[in-house]
Formats: sequence, structure tokens, C-alpha cells
Amino acid sequence: MWIFSSFLSLLADNLILTKALGTSTLMTASKNRSHLAILSLMMTLFAVLSSVLTMLLYQCIPMLVQLMTFPMSMFQPLVYTAVIAVVYLLVLLISYWIGGEKSASIRKYVHLSAFNCAVMGTLYLYFTPDMFLRGDYGSAEFLGFQLYFSDPLGVLGAALFGLQTGFGFLLASLMLLAVRHRLYSQEVPAAFRGYPAVLLYIGLISMAVHAIAA
Amino acid sequence: MKSRFSVLDGALRKNAVLAEGMVIAPIVVCCNTLPKALILSLMFACITLLTVLISSFYPKKLPFAVKVVLYALTGALVCAPVSLLYTYLNYASIGIYFPLLAVNSMIVLHSELYFFRLRRRVMLPALFFHIAGFCLTAILVGLVREILAYGTICGRAVDMPLLLQGFSAPWAGFILLGVLCALHRNIFPKE
Repeated sequence: MWIFSSFLSLLADNLILTKALGTSTLMTASKNRSHLAILSLMMTLFAVLSSVLTMLLYQCIPMLVQLMTFPMSMFQPLVYTAVIAVVYLLVLLISYWIGGEKSASIRKYVHLSAFNCAVMGTLYLYFTPDMFLRGDYGSAEFLGFQLYFSDPLGVLGAALFGLQTGFGFLLASLMLLAVRHRLYSQEVPAAFRGYPAVLLYIGLISMAVHAIAA
Repeated sequence: MKSRFSVLDGALRKNAVLAEGMVIAPIVVCCNTLPKALILSLMFACITLLTVLISSFYPKKLPFAVKVVLYALTGALVCAPVSLLYTYLNYASIGIYFPLLAVNSMIVLHSELYFFRLRRRVMLPALFFHIAGFCLTAILVGLVREILAYGTICGRAVDMPLLLQGFSAPWAGFILLGVLCALHRNIFPKE
């Protein structure tokens, strides 16, 4: 039963089907199976690492909670972009270190996965003002730093949310990959063939998800 | 020889949303009323124009990854003063889609692949018309969805015999955008 409810929550909270985040990347991911596998993996990696790094940042520098309210919220995009930039450069360096010049084919997926609405949207959707105003703080010491847990799951909760984003993207990509050849076939009128048909298809799936979530 | 009117293509023939498939999310989710579409267009224009203009001065010899990071950080930095305008206007709320404009694909990827390969005196009108194309699409989607979903234009009632409130949901944004794309392809077929 929990598998069924987990699947439903992946649909109901899907970033693409309910919030349209990452739709452009989805179109690229659904071109073939290798694109799908690698892009989904990259998106999940970026979402998880960015969420974890941001959570650690909020816990190590409690003053950053000011970013949740105006006027400091003006600088929230800068902090989140910097976090994603660090993860992006780290992943590129690791890919160079492991694969050298041969990893060029992987690196193009890294470029596509880093700065997109899905990864950035994960940070905005998870780190909301409610999380920090809840007031039920626990605390612990880690490497000499006092950490304040504003969320019961802390770093694990952030990582799980990132995983949820990645799996949601994978699910939406699989749904599109299954019918892609039909949407690009000659049977579809020329004006609708390809990109317009994909948008209509995603719209219909989104309509079904909207009905489930309502 | 390129037509002198090719820079105008960004608004219509090579529309960023309808032809290139960029920056879809804010239009699908946010543009369900005309006021939201107007504020989204204004914020997008301010952020993208300023960011691409500033980024055009960065050295071209930098590695691609470093340039992408610089463009994204510039977009986020430009977001700060633009958010003051957004808060001051207080006209309509576009939620998390406002800060997400800082990393839209026109800034992060399209600028490097297209705009920065043009000379600056050609780049500026091309950029302007690309932004205008996005704004045109956003306003059209917002107008149609507000009329169909709420029977109003900017809050003022119009005579609508039937209201389809579901048109305010994201799924209607996808479907409407798909229909507009097909219409666009019919009017401007691929060469």
C-alpha cells in the first residue's frame, strides 16, 4: 500500500506536472533512453546536493534565516545560485578527475542539469519561511559548530526532498518517452507534430494529476 | 545575405516560447490572469535585459562553465534591485517564479549560444525583440486564461456565457501553449 501512496505523492507533488519546473529539460531528456537515464541521474544529484548544502548552510549560519523575510529576501536568489554554482563546479571537477577528456559526453548533461528551474525550484519549495518559524529547535554539535535543527529530519529531510524531485522528473520523463515516437509521427498533423503535441500531452497528464491531487 | 529584419524574428518567427521552447514554466503556472502576466513580463524584461547587457562585457575566453556561473550569478544579483521594484509595485504576485527568472534559459544558455555571437549593435535589438516575444506570449496567455477562467480582464467583468474555472490551473497553461505553438507553426512554418 505504501508503494501505491508513494507513487501517488510522486505524481501529486511532481514539479513538472504541477508546477511546470524543468519542462525544457524534460523535452531533452525524453529524446532517447540514454538521455533520460543520464539527465534524470544528474537532476537528482544536483537537487540532492544543492538541498543538503543549503540545509548545512542554514544550520551553520543561523543568521541566513534573515533571507526568508524582506528586505534580505532580495539576496536569496544570490545565495541559492551560489550554492548551485558550487555543486556544478564540483561535479565538473570530479568528472574531469575521473573521466578526463572522455567524460565530455557526460559534461553536456551536467551543463543542462545545473541551472534550471527544477533544481532552483527545489530549494525555494523546500526552504520556506514556515520551516524556520516553527520554533521547535533541537541542537547538536558538529565539528565544533552548534547546529540548530529547525526541521526534525534536518539534512536527511533535505536529501529526501531532492530525491523526490529527481524521481518525479524521472517519472515524467518515462511517461513522455513512452509516447514520444507517436507525438513525432507522420499521423500527427504537421502543425502539432513534435513540440506542440508534447505540450498538449503534458497538459492532459497534468489535468489527470490535478484531479487526483484535488 | 541576412535580411535586415532578421533581428525582428525574435518577437515572432523565432519566439522564445512558441518556437524555441524556452522559459515555459512561468507562463504555464503564473499567466492565469492578465495582471500576473503583465508583472511577469515586466520582471522578465528587467532581469533579462540587464543581465545579458552586463554579461556581454565578460571576457569571451573564459571556460564555458565559468561563463555560465557568472551569467547565473549576475542574474541573481540583478534580481535584488528588481525585487525592490516588484515589492514597490505590489500589483500581482508571481511567487517563486520571480526569483527563478534569474536563471532562465535565455540568460544561462541562449545568451552564450546566440546573443554573444552577434555584434553589440545587432545584439541589442535582437535581445529586445526576443524579450518582446516572451512578453507578447505571456500577455496573450494571461488574457485568454483570465477571460475563460474568471470572465474578467484585469478584474473587470466581461460578458462571458460560460466560465471554465479549470483554466486557471497549470494544465490549461500547457494545453493553451500547445495550441498557440501549433498556430505559430502554421503561420511561420519551419524553413
